[in-house]
Amino acid sequence: MTPVLFLLTAILLGLFMLCGGAWALLYCLGQTRGSKMIMRAGLASYALAVILALTIALATPLQLKWKVLIMVSGLAYAFIPPITLRYLERLHAAWEPHA
Amino acid sequence: MSTSDSHTLHRSETLYRSQKLGMKYLIAAVALFGVMIVFGFLSALYYLFPGMFFNVFDFNMSKTLHIDTLVIWILMGLIGSIYWYLPKELGREVVGIRAAEWFFWIFCAAVAVVALIFLFVQTGKANMWTLWFIQQGRKYVEAPRWAALGIVGVMLVFSYNVIGTAIKANKVTGIVWVLMIDLIPLVGVYLFAFDSDTNMSNDLYWWWWLVHMWVESTWEILIGIIMAWVLMDVMGTPRKIVEAWLYIEVMLVLGAGILGLGHHYFWIGTPDYWLSIGGFFSALEPLPLLGMVVHAVYDAGMHKMKTRNRPAYIWITTEAFLNFIGAGIWGFMMTLPQINLFSHGTQWTVSHGHFAFYGAYVCGIIAVLYVVKQKVSGMELLAHRRWYWGYGLLNLGMIGMVSALLLSGMAQAFFERATGGSTLMAFVIASEDPWFTAGLWARAGFGIIFAAGYVALVYDLLASVKQVPLPTDQRRPSVVRSAEPEVA
Amino acid sequence: MADCPRRQEGGASVQIQDPLFWRAGAVSTTLVMLIVLAFLSIDSYGYIRAGGINVPAYDVINRHIAYEYDWSRHASTPVVGEEELLFGQKFSADEAAQIMRKGKLVIQSRNCMNCHTFFGNGAYYGPDLTKSWLDPAWEQIWMPMTGKETKEEAMVAFLMNPDQYPTWQRRMPNLDIDEEEARAMVAYLKWLSAIDTNGFPANFGRMQPR
Repeated sequence: MTPVLFLLTAILLGLFMLCGGAWALLYCLGQTRGSKMIMRAGLASYALAVILALTIALATPLQLKWKVLIMVSGLAYAFIPPITLRYLERLHAAWEPHA
Repeated sequence: MSTSDSHTLHRSETLYRSQKLGMKYLIAAVALFGVMIVFGFLSALYYLFPGMFFNVFDFNMSKTLHIDTLVIWILMGLIGSIYWYLPKELGREVVGIRAAEWFFWIFCAAVAVVALIFLFVQTGKANMWTLWFIQQGRKYVEAPRWAALGIVGVMLVFSYNVIGTAIKANKVTGIVWVLMIDLIPLVGVYLFAFDSDTNMSNDLYWWWWLVHMWVESTWEILIGIIMAWVLMDVMGTPRKIVEAWLYIEVMLVLGAGILGLGHHYFWIGTPDYWLSIGGFFSALEPLPLLGMVVHAVYDAGMHKMKTRNRPAYIWITTEAFLNFIGAGIWGFMMTLPQINLFSHGTQWTVSHGHFAFYGAYVCGIIAVLYVVKQKVSGMELLAHRRWYWGYGLLNLGMIGMVSALLLSGMAQAFFERATGGSTLMAFVIASEDPWFTAGLWARAGFGIIFAAGYVALVYDLLASVKQVPLPTDQRRPSVVRSAEPEVA
Repeated sequence: MADCPRRQEGGASVQIQDPLFWRAGAVSTTLVMLIVLAFLSIDSYGYIRAGGINVPAYDVINRHIAYEYDWSRHASTPVVGEEELLFGQKFSADEAAQIMRKGKLVIQSRNCMNCHTFFGNGAYYGPDLTKSWLDPAWEQIWMPMTGKETKEEAMVAFLMNPDQYPTWQRRMPNLDIDEEEARAMVAYLKWLSAIDTNGFPANFGRMQPR
C-alpha cells in the first residue's frame, strides 16, 4: 500500500458508497415521480458504482476479503432500493387508512 | 379518535408538566449548543495562532469544553424531546415529574460548576482526588466523578419517569417499548465513565463500549424513536408504519453496530481478528442509513412535501441525507483497516466525527425544536421563510468545515503517517504542509458561517411568526392521524 | 381493526407488514450480536490484560524495546530485547505496577488525551504518543537541549518544563508535573511502546516513498 494508492483507494471507497446512495435516491425519486429521466440517472449512478467496485477490486491493494465485500456490496446495491421501496409501498398500503 | 388538531396547541390547551420540562431541556440544549460553538471556534484558532493563551488556557481545555458541551447538549436535546412527547404518547402526565424537574436544575448547575472548574482549575495532581473533583481526563467523560454521578442520577430519574409512566398508564406502545429497553444499555454503559484502569488497552476497550454504544447504538435508537414521533406529528404517518420502521432500524443499527464496535479495536492492543470483524460490520453500518434516505424520498414523493411544519419536515429529511453522507460515506471511506492504519487519529477523524454527529443528531433535534415552536405558538401551519437562513448557514457551514477537515486529514494521513513514519518530525512536517494549513484556515472560516447559522436558528426559534392559514385542501381534518396510544 | 393490516394475498405478506415481526427480528439480532460480543470480549481480555498476549507485563520497562517490521504478519511489531534499565533502576513487578498507576493518573489528571493521542485515540493537536519512547527526537533534539545524559532523563526534564524546551511554534504547556510524576510518565511511555498494536503506527521512524 503506497501512500498515493492509500489516498486513491480511500477516495474510491467513498465514491463507491456515494454512487450507491445516489442510485438509491434517484431510483426512489424516479419511481415515486414516474420520471424516466431520473430513473436513467439512477441507473447511471449504479453503473458508476459497479465500475468503481471493479476498479477497487482490480486496481487497489486491498486484501481479497475486502475486495469480495465491495463486489458483493455492488451486487447487493442493485436490489436494495427496489426491495426497500416495494416494502415501503406495501407497508403504507397495509396501514394507511383509505383516503 | 383524535382529530387533526389534536397535535396543534390551542390557546386553551395547556402543556403537560413533562412537556414544559422538555422545553426547558431543549432551551438548555440550545444554549449549550452555542457554548459548544464558542469553544469549537476557539479550538480551531489554536491551530492558526499557536501561542494563544499559552499556559493560561490551552488547547486541551478548550477542546474538552467543546466536546463535553457537545455530548451534554445532544443528550439534553434527546431527553428533552422525550419528555415532550412521552405524556402525549401515554395519555397522562409523567410519573415522578417533580423529581425530574429538580434533577433538571441539578443537571444545569453541575454542568455550570464543571465548566467553571475546567476554565479556572483545569488540571490537578496525579491522584484520585483530582479524578473525583477536578478532571478525569478521558475523552468526552473528562468531568470529575462527582459530576458523572450526577449524570447517572439524572438518567436514573429519567428511566424512572419513562418506566413508571408506562406502568401507571398501563400502556406500552411499540415506541415506548423500544425506549424502555434502550434505557438499559444507555444507563449501563455510562458506568464505564468511572474507569481509571492503569492499563491503557483495557481502559480504551471499555471506554469504547461507552462511546460507541452511546453514539452508534443507544443514541441512534433514541433519535429513531424521536423521529418516529416527529413523523407522526409532522407527516401524519400512521403509528404502525413508524413502528415497523423503527424496529427495522433497530435491527439494522444494532445488527451492524454491536460488532461494528470492533472498528475501534484495530490498534489498541486487541487481537487482530478485530480487523476483519470490525471492518466488516462497520462496512454494514451505512445500510440502515441508506434505508432512511429511501424512506425520506418515499415520504417526500407520497406527501408531495406537504406538511404542517415545513422547517421540521425539511430538517428531518436533511437528517436522513446527512446522516448517510456524514456517518455512512465518510465513515466507509476510512473504516477498512488498510486505510484506517494511516487515517486513524488525524483530522480525517475530526471531519467524520463532526459530520456524523451533525447528520445523525443535530438535524433531528432541530426538527424537534420546530415542532415545539409550532405547538407553543399555536400555529396551524409553520411555513414562513425566515428559517431558511439558519438552515442554509448551518448546513453550508458544516459541509464546508468537514470538507476542509477532510482535506487537512488526507494531507496529514499522507505526510505524517503514510510517508513520514509517524514521529514528532513527521507530525510537524504534516502540520506545516500547505494543504493541511489551508484546510484548517478554511475550517475556521466555515466555522464562522456555522456560528452565524446558529444565531439565525435561535433568532428564528424565538421570534414570532405571522399566523398563516392552512391551504384550503389541507383544512379538512386529516384521517391520517395516529390513533390513541395502543397497547403493543 | 386498527391492529391488523389490510388483508394481503398470502399469509407471509401479512407477516412482514406487522411491526411485531420486525420486533422479533430486532430482539433476536441484538441478542445474537451481544452474545458474540461477549465471547469476543472474554477472548480479547487474554490479549489486552497486562501480561497478556499483546500487552506485556509492566516490568517490561527493565528491557530494551524496539519496533520492527514482521514480514509474516505484514505489520510492525514490538520486539522486547535485553535488559535495559530505566533510570538505572531495576523495577520489581510491584514497583513497576505502582509507577504505571502513577503514570496513568498523570495522563488523566493532566488531560493529556485532549492534545495527544494514545493508539491514535485522543486529540490531534500534539503528536501520537504510542511509540513516543522510540522517537528519535528525544536523542536528537532534547538530550542536547536539556543537557541530560540519558533519554529518560531528558524526557523527565522536558515533561517538568515543556515550555522551556520548545521545538516548534506549537508548544506544550507547563502542566505542573513534578519529578515523581514525570518519571512515572516516562515509564508509562516505555511500557506503552511495547504493546502490540497490530502495526499502528505503520513504519514508525521510517520515511516511505510515495
